[in-house]
Amino acid sequence: MTDQTQEEGLILNGLTKILGGRVIIDNLHLTVKKGEMVSLLGPSGCGKTTTLRMIAGFLIPDKGDIRLNGKDVTLLGPEKRPSAMVFQNYALWPHMSVFKNVAYPLKVRKLPKEEIERRVHEALGVVNLMHHKDSRPGQISGGEQQRVALARALVQEPDILLLDEPLSNLDAKLRVKVREDIRELQRRLGITTVIVTHDQDEALSISDRIAVMNAGKIEQFSTTQELYDRPETEYVANFIGSLNRVEGGYADGKVVPGDEIVGIRPEDVIYGATATPGAFPATVSLVVPRGHFSEVYLKRDDVELRAFISVDVPRVGDMGFARVVKALVYKDGKLVRVA
Amino acid sequence: MASVKSEAKAENLEVKSTSRSSVLGFFMAAPPMLLVVCFVGIPILIAFTFSFGFTSGPNRVVSIIGQEIHKKDHWWGTFGAYKDVFKDSRFPGDLRTTIIVSFLSTFLTLLMALGIGLYQRIMGGRIAAIMTTLCLVPLFVPVVISSWAIHTFYAGDGFMRSLLSHFGINFPTVTSTVSAIVIGSVWTSLPFAILMVTSGLQSIPDALIETAQDAGAGFFRIVRTVLIPLAITPIVIAGTFTAIGIMGSFTIPLFLGPNQPTMLGVEISNFFGAYNRPQQSIVMAFIVFTAASGIALIYIWANVKSAKQSGRI
Repeated sequence: MTDQTQEEGLILNGLTKILGGRVIIDNLHLTVKKGEMVSLLGPSGCGKTTTLRMIAGFLIPDKGDIRLNGKDVTLLGPEKRPSAMVFQNYALWPHMSVFKNVAYPLKVRKLPKEEIERRVHEALGVVNLMHHKDSRPGQISGGEQQRVALARALVQEPDILLLDEPLSNLDAKLRVKVREDIRELQRRLGITTVIVTHDQDEALSISDRIAVMNAGKIEQFSTTQELYDRPETEYVANFIGSLNRVEGGYADGKVVPGDEIVGIRPEDVIYGATATPGAFPATVSLVVPRGHFSEVYLKRDDVELRAFISVDVPRVGDMGFARVVKALVYKDGKLVRVA
Repeated sequence: MASVKSEAKAENLEVKSTSRSSVLGFFMAAPPMLLVVCFVGIPILIAFTFSFGFTSGPNRVVSIIGQEIHKKDHWWGTFGAYKDVFKDSRFPGDLRTTIIVSFLSTFLTLLMALGIGLYQRIMGGRIAAIMTTLCLVPLFVPVVISSWAIHTFYAGDGFMRSLLSHFGINFPTVTSTVSAIVIGSVWTSLPFAILMVTSGLQSIPDALIETAQDAGAGFFRIVRTVLIPLAITPIVIAGTFTAIGIMGSFTIPLFLGPNQPTMLGVEISNFFGAYNRPQQSIVMAFIVFTAASGIALIYIWANVKSAKQSGRI
């Protein structure tokens, strides 16, 4: 085994899955390094959960293979794979206490009672739920249930942790808290993790790298920063963050006639009351307060651009000058240059 | 001060609205309750007093017509009719047959319902769907018809014996035996049990099964530790309903069972009609009723357990 394959925790090689006569996953390739946290990000129906279920062993791919820590696991059932999955709705057994839920995988492995107790206590300690070990899942909150599910996965000491939209059932505040907890735990334990989500904020804040999926394929697999700064396709640019999409060309900081698509992030549009080099006159047509910043719509002729402004927010009808500091130029959906 | 007053007013309004809906709820529930009390509760009470020798009032006519009627010799009544029943040489055999048939049939019905339900839950697919649909057919066949069909199938001159005799096999005559009652009882009870058990198993989310698989559990462990415990309430309900139904069954043991010992349902009818001993038949009915009440307690336990699990109580 080479050093490279040792570093590669998970390799998906040409995975294809057809369900009900429809190609759900189409020749998908992905390599996740050991200890890395990767998000599969995409809209509903893009195939991210199907991919995760193939990694977990609940679905067998029609083509391609799955290698985990150098071992081919493509045809192994979920009970034989060194993976642990946390389901979207946590899937805690309601008739068992928190302790019994977490102990279940260890009982299946017929470990000695003392070891089961020790490991369950450890896992519950990691997620700060020791005080709830005798409670039933129905007696604890959604966030706590999520942590129990996580403890049940962690207690198995899996080679890879699979999380299927684990935060989607939580309210906004709790979601932020739990995702921080998950990230901190993942880093501390150094466990290879694949998380499925349709929430770009979640993916950007939790992952080392993100695979943006579209129609059963990976559009781009990059670090979060690269994905945001240099989206390789128009689809990714639209999906990640906000984008002003203008048909035409781009030259000297201005949109000019052309047959390309110009993508401009609202934070790359600078507005001021006075003219600066490269700026063009614009009128404020709408201001939408967004808390610590405002979304300001700037109009010039037929083109309307959104800008995020946090200080000296103009009012509707104000006339000033807008300047574009960075633009992404696409042709046939592919990035041709960053200007 | 004003806000305290308005709060008190709002609270008052809330209390009024709650009490109004309780009154409305009571009046909506009253007619069926009244019906049950008049046409079930009171007759049970009258029969109960009759079994203890209270032969006046509504029991007067039946006590004049019936034979071997015991009249009360204490203020609380008499155990005369009960002594008659327990001394009767037929009764122990009938009671034993009733208990054996009820338990065996319930066990076999639940076993088959669980087998089919689990097959459908885990495997799914067309075969499972066809199997489940076929099992529901007896639901639409009147018991008297199905009993007769089973009779002609297993009788001494029935289909099975005729068919197998062509191959030199002497198939035993099943009709007029306790086994025939069990076959008939399972046949008629299976559809309802399957509906209950299957719906219980189907309502278990896939994720709960997949999590167990993911944790390394095999088929039998998943069945034992996840599926059956989660579907225990409908399974117990199916079991109790089946057992109570079989315990009080009449048509199947009459058509398919032996003359003696037979099930108490048939014997109660014999005592009431053929032997003209209504008081003793009512005693037997109360013995069956007591046994059924024991089973009903299991039903209540299952419901309470389910309510506790779901946090309703």
